Amino acid sequence: MTDSESKQVIFKVQRYDPEQRGVPHWQGFMVPSRRGMTVLDGLLYIKENLDSTLAFRTSCRMGVCGSCGMLVNNYPHLACHTQIEEFKSDIITVKPLANLAIIKDLVVDLSPMFARHKSVKPYIIRKDTAEMEKPTAEYYQTSGELDAFEQFSYCVKCGICLAACPTSASDRLFLGPQALAQCYHYNADTRDDGKEERNGVAASEHGVWHCHLAGACSEACPKGVDPALAIQLLKGQMAGQALGLGKKQPAAKVVAPPKEKKPGIPFPEFTGKGNK
Amino acid sequence: MRRARWHIVHIISAVVIAVLLGIHMVIQHLDDILGFFGVGNGEPTSWLAVMGRSGRGIWVGLYIALLAFALYHALYGLRGIILEVTGSRRAERAINIVFIIAGIIVFIWGSYIPLSLLSG
Amino acid sequence: MAIREVQHRQNYLGVGGWVWGGNYKLERYLYLLHRITGLGIILFGFFHLIETTFFRMQGQTVWEATMALLEKPWFEAGLYLVAVAFTLHALNGLRLILQEFGLALGRPHRPIYPYGDALRKKRPWTMLLVAVIVVLALLFLFDFMLSGGG
Repeated sequence: MTDSESKQVIFKVQRYDPEQRGVPHWQGFMVPSRRGMTVLDGLLYIKENLDSTLAFRTSCRMGVCGSCGMLVNNYPHLACHTQIEEFKSDIITVKPLANLAIIKDLVVDLSPMFARHKSVKPYIIRKDTAEMEKPTAEYYQTSGELDAFEQFSYCVKCGICLAACPTSASDRLFLGPQALAQCYHYNADTRDDGKEERNGVAASEHGVWHCHLAGACSEACPKGVDPALAIQLLKGQMAGQALGLGKKQPAAKVVAPPKEKKPGIPFPEFTGKGNK
Repeated sequence: MRRARWHIVHIISAVVIAVLLGIHMVIQHLDDILGFFGVGNGEPTSWLAVMGRSGRGIWVGLYIALLAFALYHALYGLRGIILEVTGSRRAERAINIVFIIAGIIVFIWGSYIPLSLLSG
Repeated sequence: MAIREVQHRQNYLGVGGWVWGGNYKLERYLYLLHRITGLGIILFGFFHLIETTFFRMQGQTVWEATMALLEKPWFEAGLYLVAVAFTLHALNGLRLILQEFGLALGRPHRPIYPYGDALRKKRPWTMLLVAVIVVLALLFLFDFMLSGGG
């Protein structure tokens, strides 16, 4: 298909209206599709021209906010990040993310995911609370120490990993790949000192030990976060802790900013103060 | 951390089972190859061969050890599958108790028979 | 205007979600096969324990009658399936032991598009493992057929 050509593609969208008290059903729409058009563009076309009652989440339309997660041709994608042309098919089926309750049409209830994320305390926990409340300087961290967890900080909380995970499909109390990966993210951060608090949650019955390395979460993740790797590293950390292996690393220390300023390049003073 | 320890024992039992069950499978099913090497014991499932092994402590010890590790590994795995499906925190305690009791009963039954055949 | 609470519709895939939740790759199906073979081995183990305790303690006549029954083709075929199940469960279990504690998965790194994940990077090894399992299954089948299926 060249840039100017467009062809008609059928969007089979799962509809569900809670106020009608019906069951989810398919509705088909003919959408003119051009090269470069994303699934989200198709849904917006449907909403603007064909059926304004279609409900879905969208925000940034460039793959950074995580709002538009949905099952496209039975695989979880970010709709804004997925071209219609990549399916090489005239029929695109769009369903809401699996393993999350449907509010309406393609909108799912993400609050269980947020609650589980909150339960693993996804923030830096330090024992020196005075420094945390009134910081005097930065915490020291090398680039090697940053590499140990930076990948897991790219999570956009889209819920796609939960839709992919087979354990989340049956275990309603499972913490989920997102929360467990974020638990490891903060555990691996050298500035953090809250492993014991977080591991209490992650080591609970429906926590990390219900992950069996199916790997679907990492495969489907649209941001390359690789939650499966984080969870296995978390298991390794917990096993090491249970066996009493490994030295306990102290949390990163505070480093005062350098007192001596480096000599700057001579530059004329343009500010108003100099002119007075 | 107790669940981490249970999981570590599950992994250790997996390795032990692979060795012990590997020996068991080789003895039971590769008797032609063992005979070729002059190590075989004839037909391994014949009454003579079975009673021969039942009278030797090393075999009885191997079978009881295999039973213990296999029971732990199997019941821990099965418990995990059931907990993933039941989704109730109260059920967890009941399921743990049922599995522990079932495991102990099966172990006692499974090791009593070879021990009684060993002595008599 | 009163706000009416509307129940959200549950959308769990359930146990069916273990079997198929989308077009995923090799490790997802190995997870499923690991589960199925584990349950199959437990079922076999239950009957095997009854055979080797209850039937063995009843003496030579009962034992030999039991063995005669178990040497029928259907039971031999079942035993072949158990052998294959054990091989798959053991070798895949070995892979899981190495990967589950993050030992054989490599280190985290900054994600650069197109993203790859640790399991995908190790997939050639996983495929080699599956090839070994298939070769062993064929060898056992050859041995089973040679012994006349009984």
